[in-house]
Formats: sequence, structure tokens, C-alpha cells
Amino acid sequence: MFMLRRVTRRGVAAAAVVAMTATLVAACGDDSGSGSDGKITLRYSWWGPAERAEIMNKAIARFEQQNPNIKITPNFSDYAPYWQKLATETAGGGAPDVMQMDYTYLSEYANRGVLLDLASQVDKNIQIKELLPGLQDVGVIDGKRYGITVSGNTFALIYDPAAFEKAGVTVPDAWTWKEYQDAAAKVGKAVKDDKMWGATDYTQITGILETWLRQQNKELISADGKLVVSKEDLKAFWEHGQRMRDLGAIVPQSKVAQVAPKSAPGADLVASAVGIDTYLTRYAGETKRTFAIAPMPSDDPNNLGLIFRPGMLLCASSKTKNPDAAAKLINFMINDAEVGKMFGGNRGLPASTIQREAALPVLSPQDQAVLEYENGISDQLKPAPLPPAGVGPVDAAFLRIGEELNYGKTTIDKAVDQFFTEAEQALSAS
Amino acid sequence: MTTSTGRRRGSLLLWHLTALVLLALVSYPVIWTVGSSFKPSDRIVGALDLLPTSPTLANYRRAFEGAAGVSLLRFSLNSVLVAVLSVIGTVGSSSLAAYAFARLRFRGRNLLFTMMISTLLLPFHVMIIPQYIVFNQLGWVDSYLPLLVGKFLATDAFFVFLIVQFMRGLPPELDEAAEIDGCGHWRIYANIVLPLSRPALITASIFSFIWTWNDFLGPLIYLNTPEKYTLPLALRMFIDQTSVSDYGAMVAMSMLALLPVILFFLAFQRYLVSGVATSGLKG
Amino acid sequence: MLDQTVTSGAAAPEPETGTGSRGPRARGAGPSRRGRQVRRREGLAGGLFLGPWLLGLLLLTLGPMLASLYLSFTDYNLFTAPEWVGLDNYRRMFDDERYLTSVRVTMGFVVLATPLKLALALGVAMLLARPRRTQGFYRSAFYAPSLIGASVSIAITWRALFSDDALLDRALQWLGLPAGGWVGDPSRALIVLVLLSVWQFGAPMVIFMAGLQQVPQELYEAAEVDGAGWWRKFAHITLPMLSPVIFFNLLLETIHAFQVFTSAFVVSSPNPGSPADATLVYTLYLYLRGFADFRMGYASAMAWTLLVAIALVTLLLFRTSRFWVHYADGGDR
Repeated sequence: MFMLRRVTRRGVAAAAVVAMTATLVAACGDDSGSGSDGKITLRYSWWGPAERAEIMNKAIARFEQQNPNIKITPNFSDYAPYWQKLATETAGGGAPDVMQMDYTYLSEYANRGVLLDLASQVDKNIQIKELLPGLQDVGVIDGKRYGITVSGNTFALIYDPAAFEKAGVTVPDAWTWKEYQDAAAKVGKAVKDDKMWGATDYTQITGILETWLRQQNKELISADGKLVVSKEDLKAFWEHGQRMRDLGAIVPQSKVAQVAPKSAPGADLVASAVGIDTYLTRYAGETKRTFAIAPMPSDDPNNLGLIFRPGMLLCASSKTKNPDAAAKLINFMINDAEVGKMFGGNRGLPASTIQREAALPVLSPQDQAVLEYENGISDQLKPAPLPPAGVGPVDAAFLRIGEELNYGKTTIDKAVDQFFTEAEQALSAS
Repeated sequence: MTTSTGRRRGSLLLWHLTALVLLALVSYPVIWTVGSSFKPSDRIVGALDLLPTSPTLANYRRAFEGAAGVSLLRFSLNSVLVAVLSVIGTVGSSSLAAYAFARLRFRGRNLLFTMMISTLLLPFHVMIIPQYIVFNQLGWVDSYLPLLVGKFLATDAFFVFLIVQFMRGLPPELDEAAEIDGCGHWRIYANIVLPLSRPALITASIFSFIWTWNDFLGPLIYLNTPEKYTLPLALRMFIDQTSVSDYGAMVAMSMLALLPVILFFLAFQRYLVSGVATSGLKG
Repeated sequence: MLDQTVTSGAAAPEPETGTGSRGPRARGAGPSRRGRQVRRREGLAGGLFLGPWLLGLLLLTLGPMLASLYLSFTDYNLFTAPEWVGLDNYRRMFDDERYLTSVRVTMGFVVLATPLKLALALGVAMLLARPRRTQGFYRSAFYAPSLIGASVSIAITWRALFSDDALLDRALQWLGLPAGGWVGDPSRALIVLVLLSVWQFGAPMVIFMAGLQQVPQELYEAAEVDGAGWWRKFAHITLPMLSPVIFFNLLLETIHAFQVFTSAFVVSSPNPGSPADATLVYTLYLYLRGFADFRMGYASAMAWTLLVAIALVTLLLFRTSRFWVHYADGGDR
């Protein structure tokens, strides 16, 4: 009665066994490190979309051509999963040989001994002389060089000239925060029918708070990782947000949440945003409106409080079996002129002057605008201080509490206390 | 006679009406998502129209090109390989364990059953790193083994428990009779219990296929070479929060990735019609 | 082969003892020679059938589980060796406001999502139980949300559906109900998440369908002869016959609801838990603590606390199952 079925069941069972053995056998020959033919294999991980990966593949091909004994295994994903994978691999003893690093997390990794000190590679396999002066020593912690920066950026005020014109607002050469807020309010009223607001809520971003503090020669977190901002200052900063909300200048958080993962400027919700200057490219990719760069607001026209931030760094794992090859790859990705031309502004504006020059002819109009802006304020750009371990959670807490303020779910006084509790805890634990 | 057919026709109408209203509600987001895949890439996020005003195939063209130099076909074949092997492994190993839990009596059964259920209770995030360490020690990273070995060893207690519940629904007289007839446990399992558990096995196959097909985290952690990537990794390649994202290609590729799963479901759900009632007791 | 010889050995004395006892289990017959033999044979068979599962448990599951239990008593930043801190992590949870928020959010989610999802799944499964020509179409269409649900694309759709001026919002405006987008509204964002989960009712639906197929049609036919109406058939045949499957779905959906992660992660990305922690479910916070804040010790403690909580609920469900779940094998568990 079950004869027919029995045959198929056995068939399935047999297929399972065969399949299992096949995969097991296939895996046995798969051992990384240096192969039997004397070839060195390096794994190189980065975050970014497919577009970056396609350029990266070309760059890797060129590197392999120049270094026939080195083979690169590329590995990439988008930003958030990248960090989960990197943390897992690093914890589990399988970190990639060369990895892309965000400045925010550098200390987190470097302080715990998982990154290679590249100091001995400098002038041997890595050239740093060609890096822009402000970016040369980025990645150095206590005399050890844990990362080399690929690109640089800074903060800027990005705005929609058409919207500002509609409101009759002309952008001056320099303005104070109050002047900017009033302008944003005026623009907001003019573009209300387009369901747009004047500005994003910059009081959610630690980078802007730090810029504002630096404009007064103060800081948020000291070099030794202590929260040094005063509660009065934080309160004053968050009052910016309150003032702009009262003026109707700021986009409500509920609108921003609806359009994620798009940015608020990219989703045509705001006419201006304070943030990283290279986001100009991102906004331009998201909307048909055009954006331009305006001067950073500051109450002290001689101090914009800006720093030359490393866009992304390249690091090597302290466990790599081939530090020389890893260093060569890093140097190639940072200094090779042809690579600079391939990427253009994809990784941000190159840190090395060789790549910057090579990239110049292929830069998009947005990238050129950013470059012009950075060149114009280069004397104001200070070297970026190293973010201590624990800064990631501090940024996240600031963003979240800033959102709660925007929603009106908390008061500024409560928010200040809450931020202090969370930030101090995050910094002390690391 | 006439009133009875009239009532039957009425209830049939009511049935269709209920089904259609529910269907419309449930399908609205599905249609929306399918519609999105035909909208221009920059009009997808935040757009409020159900269907595209000016439909375009551009998203599909980009999705068909694959990503990062790897073809869509390659990603699909990788996904098929992993999903099919997962189904075989999961159903095979889980039904074996389920037979033991449901039909055999032995010492420690309750303890082992409790342990099995308890493996369902721990959030998987805290297991990621210890499991990675195990597979890294074995040298299996960047192969499909970490994604498959667990399937062949019934590590997902969901499936074991699912099949147990169905097997316990079978009348015990069946295998008792078979035992009298001189059947050993292997034959009772293979010839009587498995065929009668067909609805459960089909269900397990469907879930196992779909969940593996959609799995993102496992392939993310364990696959390094882009040529080995599966579809969920591939379609994430179009987006990145730090740069310009191509939502159009992402949605289009996720629609293409759906086709095999829908076919799989369509093919297998047919077998959900007849369980014990028809093929078992009567046959 | 071995099985067969033993079986025939056990079956041989049957005529001697056998007056009316059917089957070798012979409940209540005492520890006869045959009973012991059967028990031993089943023990051996049990070991063999459980082999792959046991191997998986020992090699892949138990180790990592115990490792995370150990880590929950340590300060572990992922990259340097864990440091023993005793119960610190467990103690700290109760002073952690975000932790308490995540507990509240999760409770709300479990209470709302689980019953709704199960009711919808059972309702649709019963609606589609009778074979019709359109059955395959309907089944696939109702399962489609569960297929799309795991993809990133759904995040975009879901946000749009619950934005202001979307169909739902316009309907609410028209009805004169409180309008405005739900996604960006901290007091309503959890509903959006619950609806996303309920919408994906395909898995329990398919399980219910499979369960309904196992209900012998003869029972319904017999009941119809007795003149039983729709409700009596449902209450006296469907529910009891389906109870093992209902129990399974209830248990698993409750466990899954406590552990909900992907939908919350996807809907609130790129700022997990947004708006204003309204969707900060337990495992999302756990993930953030472990992988974004590098506090895997704390995350492990959270995981084990959740395990204990779910275990208690599971135990409670198993206890009550004695009163309402009917197994064909008599329910000797």
C-alpha cells in the first residue's frame, strides 16, 4: 500500500546524503591565507553600494596586475550590516586583512588591539607625504598609526538657492546662527505651499553641537574621553531648536521619519540643512532640485569651528599574516593616481594630493562645489580630534534625545539630564 | 430542494465576498510594492500613488544587469542551491527527530524535548559570535557549510516541534498494528508515519525554502566572496545610507527574487489538500 | 533488519498473553518481559532517530548557548577577553530606562500582534479549507505578504502606506477621525509595526491549513447527519481536532512576538527604534547594546532574562494545554 511512496522517500534520503557529502568535500579545498602557488591572499572589506564595488573591482584588478603575487578577495555590504559583520569577524578571529573604517569607531577597534600599527610601514610601503597636511596624522593614537585616511570632508550649510530666492533671502558671506534661523523661518513661510520647511533640525547631530562649541573655543568631549560640555551650553544649543520650532523653521520629525531612508533635503522636505558637505552629492542624487553651499553660521566670523574630518580610513588587521602586502594595498588605494581617477568623488574628496589632482577632471559639479568650498575655508580647517571609544553610543543618544525634543516628548532640562547620564555611562564604560 | 440550493448559492456568494474583501485588504501593500518597482527610481520613496503614473522598466533593466560584476543568474543559482539543500536537510533531519519525540518512548525523552523547546527561546543575536567562532575554527567561513550544516542537524527546533505536533495527531493504532505485522521503526517511520505526515512535511518544506531564500544575516556573516552571495545580499547592494541609493533596482530585484518563491509555494501548496483523510486511511 | 527480528520476537508470545490486548504497548499490563524489551528497543531506536538532532544540539547550539550564559556574567566588549562581573549586568537592567522602555514596547507588541495574527490566520485557513478551483490562487495571494515581508522593499511601502495623505490617512480624515501619518508618530508607530506583523499571517495560516487537512472528513459527515450546525461543528470537531496545531501556533507565535526583530529593524531603519523609541522592541535594544555599543555582556544578560521570561510563559501554556489540547496518542506528555 505504501510501496510507491517508499521509493520516493528513499530517493530523497539518498539525495540528501549525496548533497551533504558533496558540499563537505567541496569545502575542504577552500583554505585561505597564502596558497600553494606562493600567492598571497588578502581579504579587503568595505561598505558602500554596488556602484562603489564596480569601481573597486577595477582598482583591485589594477593592483593585482601590478602585484602578481597578491590576490584580493573583495567583500562589501551596506553601512549598517557592514559593522555587524566586522564586529562578529573581529570577535571571532576572522577579521579581514584590510578594512574600511569610520573615524567614529577607530578608537573602539584600535584601543582593543585588533588593528595593525602601520607606523613601521610608513616610507616603506605607505607614503603619507602626499596626504593633505590637515589629514596626515589622522589615525595616529599614542604614536601608533592605526589608519590612513582616504578622503576628507567638513561641515557646511547646504541650501536650495531657488527656495531662498522665492523667499527673497540672499545668502551673505557670513552670518550668525540667529540670522540663519530667521532666514530659514522666512524661507519656510515662502515654501509652505510646497509642503517644505526652512531647515532640518541640526540640534540632533553631535557634530554640529561640537562645531558650535568650537566656535566658542569649547568642546563636547575632551581628548581623554570625558564629557566636558557644561549643562548650560547644551541647554543653550537645544534652545536653538526650540526657537526654530517656535518660528516654524524646522521640519517636524514625523515628516522626516516618513521619508526615511531618504534624507529630508532629498525628499523635498527642507530648503536647507547643516551637515557634512559631501552630502551635496547624495541630495543631488535623490531629488531634481539643485543645492548649493552657503557659509557655516557662526557667532564669531573669525572662527567657524570647522575641522577637516576624515571621510573614511583604511586599516589593517593586527592578525594579518601579510602586513607588507596589506600596507601596499592601502597605499595603492590612497595614492595611486589612476585609482583616484576611477573613483572621482565616490569615496569623498581624496585625501592624497596625487588622487585629488587625478580626480579633478572627473568630479561631478556637486563635488567641484564642495572642493571649492573647502579650498575657500582651508585656513579655517583644524585637524580633527580623535573620537574616543564610546562616541558611537553618545552620537546615537544625542540623535534620539534630539528627536524626542522635536516631538515635544521631553523638555530641554530633562533632555540635558538624560543626555548627561547616557553619555557619561557610554564614555566611562569604554 | 430549491431552498437548499438557494441557500447554498447564497453562502457561496458570501464566501466569495468575504474572501475578496479580505484579499483586497491584504493585497493592497503587495500591489503597492509591485507598482513601486515600475516607478522611476527617485519617485519610489515617499510617493503616495498605488500605481506608477509613468511606468518604466528601467529598474528591471538595472536589476537584470546584476551587481558589482556578478550576474543576477549567479546570485539566483546560489540562492537556489542553498534553499534546496536546506529543504532536504531540514525536512529529513527534523522528521527523524520528530518521529522519536512523537512516537517512541525512551528514558530522558521529556528532558530532551524540554531542551529542544528551550533552544527556541534564546534571541539569536547572542549566538552569532559563538557560532561564528565554531565555524571559523572549522575553516568553513566563506563556504555554504555554516548555512547548511545546521539544517542537516535539525538545529531549528521550530521544524522538529511542528512535525512532532502533526505526528502526535496520527492514531497510535497505526504503528502498533504495523509493529504486529513485523515492521521495524525505520519501516514504520518511512512507510507509515512519513506518508501520513505529508501536510506537515510540505509545510516544513515551504517554510524552510522561503526562510532560507530570504535569509540575510547568515549569508552576510559567512559569505565573503561576492560570487557566492545570495539574492538577499545582492539586493542590498543597491542601497547604502552613506551614499546615493538606487531604490528602483533594489525593489525590482526583490520582485524578481520573489518569483521562484512564489513558484515553489504554488507547486507545493497543492499537496496541502490531502492528508490522513484521503490518502492515508482510505488508500 | 535488526528491528524486524526483535519485533518478531516480541510479537511471538502475543497469542499466549493475548486475550484482547491490542498492540505491544499494552498499557497498564505491568513490567512484563515484553514491555521491558519494547522499552529498550525504543530507547535504542530513539537514540538513532535523534542522532542528527543530538549532534546539532551538542555541536552547534548548546555550546553557543552556554557561552552566552557565561558572557552574561561578564563585561565583554567583543574584542578583548571578557571580565567577570557577577550579577552586575542583570542588576543594571532595572536602572536602565531604555531597557524598561523596550520591555513595555515588547509587551504591547506581544499582546496586540499575537491574537490578531492567529485569529486572522485561522479565519482565512478555514475560509480556504474547502477544495475549490480557486483555492490555489487564494492561498498564494494570502501567503504573498509573508513572502514580501522579509525584504527591504517592504520598509518603503509600509512607510508610504501610513504616511499623511496616504489612502488610510485620507480615509481617517474623511471619517473625521484623528488624522496624520502613523509612521512618524511615537504614539502610533507601534501599531504600524503590529500591522506589519499581523499582515504576514501566512506561516500560521499554512500550518492551520495543514492541520485542517488532517481532520477526518467522516467526522463532519457524521455530525451533519446528526444535524449539527456550523458552530457545533466548529466547536466540537474543528477546535478539538485542531488543538495540537492551535497550541503549536499559539506557542510559536508568542515566542516569535517576544523575539520580534526584523520587522522593527526594517521599519525603523536607519535609526533603530525610531520614532523616539516607540518601536524599540526588546531584541532591537539587545542588538544595539551588543553590536553598536559593544556591550555583549549586557546584551547576553538581556537575552537570558528574556529566555527566562519566555520560558515561564511557555511553561504556563504547556500547563494549560492539558486542559484543551487533545492528542490522538492520548497526550501522555
